[in-house]
Amino acid sequence: MNDATRRGFLKRAAALGAGAGLFTINPEFFLSPAAAQEGKTLVFLSAENITGNWDPSAHTTLSQKNIEGFIMGFLTRTPMRVEKPDEVVYELATSLTLLDPTKLEIKLRQGVKFHDGKEFKAEDVKATFEYGSRPDRPAQWYPGPTETLTITTPDDYTVIVDTSKGGYPAHLFMFLAAYLPMMSATDIAAGPQGPLSQRLNGTGPFKFVEQRGNDTVLAANPDYFLGAPKIPAISFNFVGDSTTRMLSLMNGQASIVERLEPEQVATLQGNDKVAISSVVSVENKYLWFRCSKPPFDNPLVRKAACHAIDREQILAVLGEAGHKSANYVSPVKFGYIDLPNYPAYDPEKCQALLAEAGFPGGEGLPPLEYITSVGFYPKTKEYGEVITAMLQEQGFPVTLSVLEIAAWNERLYDRPGGGPGHMVDCGWSTGSPEPDLVLRTHFHSSSKRITGIVDAEIDASLDKERSAPSLEERKAILQSETMPLLADKVPALSLFTSVMIHAMDKSLSGLFIYPDGSMDASKGAFA
Amino acid sequence: MFILSFLVRRLLQGALIIFLVTLLIFTLLRVVPGDPVRLMAGGMAPEALIEQIATEMGLRDPILVQFGRYMGGVIQGDLGQSFVRPASGASTGGSGFGDSSRGDRAEVLTLIADTLPMTLQLAALAIFFALVFSFLVGVPGGLAPNRWPDRVAFYISSIFISLPNFWLGIVLALLFSVKLGWLPAIGYKGFAYTILPAIVLAVELAPILIRNLTASLASVMQSPFISVGRVRGLGHRRIVYAHALRNASVPLLNLLGIQISGLLGGVLIVEFIFDYPGLGLLTVNAVLQRDFPLIQGIAIVTSAIFVLINIAVDLIATLIDPRLEY
Repeated sequence: MNDATRRGFLKRAAALGAGAGLFTINPEFFLSPAAAQEGKTLVFLSAENITGNWDPSAHTTLSQKNIEGFIMGFLTRTPMRVEKPDEVVYELATSLTLLDPTKLEIKLRQGVKFHDGKEFKAEDVKATFEYGSRPDRPAQWYPGPTETLTITTPDDYTVIVDTSKGGYPAHLFMFLAAYLPMMSATDIAAGPQGPLSQRLNGTGPFKFVEQRGNDTVLAANPDYFLGAPKIPAISFNFVGDSTTRMLSLMNGQASIVERLEPEQVATLQGNDKVAISSVVSVENKYLWFRCSKPPFDNPLVRKAACHAIDREQILAVLGEAGHKSANYVSPVKFGYIDLPNYPAYDPEKCQALLAEAGFPGGEGLPPLEYITSVGFYPKTKEYGEVITAMLQEQGFPVTLSVLEIAAWNERLYDRPGGGPGHMVDCGWSTGSPEPDLVLRTHFHSSSKRITGIVDAEIDASLDKERSAPSLEERKAILQSETMPLLADKVPALSLFTSVMIHAMDKSLSGLFIYPDGSMDASKGAFA
Repeated sequence: MFILSFLVRRLLQGALIIFLVTLLIFTLLRVVPGDPVRLMAGGMAPEALIEQIATEMGLRDPILVQFGRYMGGVIQGDLGQSFVRPASGASTGGSGFGDSSRGDRAEVLTLIADTLPMTLQLAALAIFFALVFSFLVGVPGGLAPNRWPDRVAFYISSIFISLPNFWLGIVLALLFSVKLGWLPAIGYKGFAYTILPAIVLAVELAPILIRNLTASLASVMQSPFISVGRVRGLGHRRIVYAHALRNASVPLLNLLGIQISGLLGGVLIVEFIFDYPGLGLLTVNAVLQRDFPLIQGIAIVTSAIFVLINIAVDLIATLIDPRLEY
């Protein structure tokens, strides 16, 4: 006992500390510059994490779709620019031809190989469509379950999709062709428990190498059929904090970062080493009404609320992150028009509708909760406060609940008896021009994700546009019937279209960013 | 014999504390909003399926039943599997409700074992920086009470204690990483990545150490044995470094024990800002994702560390000064 002395203790503690230090110190630090360039690897910092299951049909997570964009091949690609929303670029397909309203012929490119060496053939398209249409696949992108499809492969490079059993038109697969990554029939044969969930195997410009903690490591595919990429590797990392992402770009550690806040754009615009890319995205931000419970089960009250909101003020709050639109889909989607009857700010109309609904000046309305989130979408709290104030001004007794993402996500969706709260803020983004990925998902009674709306007239109109025999006729129905009907019944109010803002190393060129945030880096290069 | 009875008593007390902390965390997690099954299954999953998965996972059982089941595993050394992280360790979000890779989920113990050394490295460097700086500022302050070195020590500690760590982290990263390019800041690819976050934590630790060292050194310098030392003809340097500082370091040791325990709060924020892959970042992401098993595992491990540090500090203090009894 008496052997213990302060001096002895301090000596031993120091020795222990030094010993521990020897194990942890990386001598490379003393030999190499601190923030050294790490070759030509493209380092992408993502605002969202991935799911941990690589099966493309098992998720709807945007960040993972972005990774798939580098690795997987698609029959077509749709650049979806505002000035040319319908443009289609053929990738694995060489043509898509409607043989009749329920028969689509797909001709495939020859000589393309999956990263595991398997040749890409018609059997892969058939397997992908049939597997992805299974009702148990969580992504649920396909227009009907597998049994409504008959897919034949007259030869190795021709696929015929017959939808006559399902009673819906085959042209629905034309837009989905740009959204559905092509999987290998061999992988699919092993089922959801097989290699599909363990790694990505595509025909794209980059190969999946490994998942190293939060780092998804990709390497260039030297055999890419459109030419080997110049960038040798991609490191795709999840970094949750937007300031951290920005600092990482500014100090040269990251090559490209996403989801910038408007203030950060202003900061980075003055930096001569950084380039900013702004793209009108596929994502609209909505104020969703809980249509299955009072008072928003009454379309008059919903409409009154819409006329109370001045969307110009919301756009002023958003700055660079918002793009004006007047429809339920983004301007880069098929069928978009500025709807003439889209509800505009009109306090008098608001009051008239409230009175007509039996709530003059808002009197008699129950306390209303408006749920929004912080931490993912830009400025939600700020414009949420603006909307709350505008509604209160017209007599709506609204309180704003600002929740962090997990709590908000738990309260987001409709449930029996109506979802929590009365109004919810949320965006909806799907990387395809297909408008039904928004309209049918949210406003058809078979889906009604957030609103809980059940309206026979809306159902009938959505079924009608979907069943139109040709794309031209479908567009006409969407623009003259379905979309105006939605603007009249307002199960939700689309507030604006998001602008996808990326900041990147100025020496990086040749990158094409799609409006859903995925990108084509096959022609990217560092100067 | 004393050590044995001391250790048995304190370890039993510690086990009770850990048990209570675990129960508290377990209960709190289940009453806060945010259903982990919704996060795991994703927005597209129908409500009926959410309930089915939750029931299968036992998440709809009474809390005490769930807790009993959990503790049964903990006693056997099984902290369970993460709800959302795959074995690769990636920070994941939920989505697929038919997620076939569930069997490939990461073990909580593995995730903690992978990240804890990173945090220990960060904490060790932070303490080293804090001690060095505290001695550099605190010793002159303690030797010159009420004169300018003392006032400088006071001002510095006042400024340091007023600096929010999230602000300081961003400013230091901007200065040393972006502007000067001296140090890397984000993520971890080598020891250099530990320096900036360690400095931020050191700034958080230093003020209390500086004040404590200044006050105790000033007090020791007034002791009779210091005057006797002068009479014995000892030089000033020897009196300060060989006698006064050694005595003044004793209260610092006790304080360090408490400070190390308090480091975790700072580590959460600092690791998040610097994207430093330690226990703090793991905790923040686990909370955001409602990854119950991981949060519980981290709570057990960190409370065990706190308990052990406090036992060690008390034991060492008792050994150094046998008059103390714990």
